[in-house]
Amino acid sequence: MVANPRAASAAGSARRLNSPQRALVETHVDGSPRSVNRQQVALVREEWRVVDRWWTEEPIDRRYFDVVLVSGENGVVFLDREAQCWFSQRA
Amino acid sequence: MRAALRERPALALRPAALGPAAGDESLLGPVTTAAEAAGVQPGMRLGEALSLCPDLALVEQDPATAEHEWEELLKRLEDSGFAVEAAAVGCVYFETRGIERLYGGLEPALKRALAAVGPAWDARIGAAERRFAALAAAHVARSGQVLIVSDRPRDFIAPLPLTLLPIDPQRREELEELGVRRLGQLAGLPGAAVAERLGPDGRRAWSLARGEQRGKVRARKVANELAETLEFPEAVANELTLRRAVGSLLDRLLAQPERGDRAVRKLALSAKLVGGGSWRRTVTLRDATADRDRLRVAVGVKLGELPAPVTRLGLELVELAQTVGRQLELVQPEGLELRAHLSEGLKQVRAGAGSGAVCSVLEVAPWSRIPERRALLVPRDD
Repeated sequence: MVANPRAASAAGSARRLNSPQRALVETHVDGSPRSVNRQQVALVREEWRVVDRWWTEEPIDRRYFDVVLVSGENGVVFLDREAQCWFSQRA
Repeated sequence: MRAALRERPALALRPAALGPAAGDESLLGPVTTAAEAAGVQPGMRLGEALSLCPDLALVEQDPATAEHEWEELLKRLEDSGFAVEAAAVGCVYFETRGIERLYGGLEPALKRALAAVGPAWDARIGAAERRFAALAAAHVARSGQVLIVSDRPRDFIAPLPLTLLPIDPQRREELEELGVRRLGQLAGLPGAAVAERLGPDGRRAWSLARGEQRGKVRARKVANELAETLEFPEAVANELTLRRAVGSLLDRLLAQPERGDRAVRKLALSAKLVGGGSWRRTVTLRDATADRDRLRVAVGVKLGELPAPVTRLGLELVELAQTVGRQLELVQPEGLELRAHLSEGLKQVRAGAGSGAVCSVLEVAPWSRIPERRALLVPRDD
């Protein structure tokens, strides 16, 4: 599960660096991204999975994609398989 | 125990006892009335208590909350005009001479003190010319009672047990084996013989039993309220991370204008532990200093004593030195000017973007496979 990155933090509280941001992703049949935030994906450079903390109440199961967009921009997006939502994040 | 009951008042009606601290002998602390009715006594072994009362709830020791509640109590007394000397958590001495006229006499002043303490602490007050007699009277008094020993304090303390004396339990047992069980019996012995048999501590105890030691009340200086805390999104056990967090807290504390360039004499490091308990250690410096690196080293040593991962870390400047002047250095340390420029730049950013806009990056778990768990952003308002 991904915690809400916009949750208010009290003064003196530390907050996470590089929290995932919601992303608008369209996918191919095999689940790989076709477009990210309405920009076409030119190339999927790498793909990997992170499964962790399955023993807790906040398990993590993510499918990451390192993509190059048609604009030439690099980006990393992942599908949170617990919440079935897409996020972008610097990996 | 009182502090714990304030947080969980339902426990007061159930059999409950203060559990032993981690690593200590498994002896119980104070117990509730319901536990006492079931045969559980303070100081009893944990196994014995649980066999007597299987429903016994163990309250985890929470020294940071207890100290916080105690500090609040002392402040309430000070707000009522009492100059207090805290002997330990749960025991405080104060003089009433200066404020008896304010409240219309000794007894009204003491009742005012009881009211300031409030009902939650089960307070009792003893008043006497001597400190020890006052302490003995407070032990004898019932909850919420004011007991004034107006004359002949020696006669008042004579029938009381030796347990009131601040002496080694072995020495007390030695005295009891000799048939001395009451303070009056000890006071009746020749002083030289007591000193020869029990040493300087015994001589002091003998003197207390005779009501001879006067001992002035030394009121504490008004406490500083310079404290900073840092909440972690998840429990942190890594010592390196905690050291960095301490550095960040120190930066914020040293930059507080209330410090007024004064050097630090004593600090307190506290933590909220992952299981719900708390932890607190104080560090007293031989030479008061405001040097960040020296303070960080002094406090950092204590981090090794943490018994569990922490979810909140707090740092408090407990005592500041009165001196502000320091001899100038002949050669300024390298990077001092650069740091001053950087600090000035950050102030400008903060003024433009608001409080909380400037943060430090604190690495928590750089090896983590989950990117957002590798580092934290810690606000810097220094």
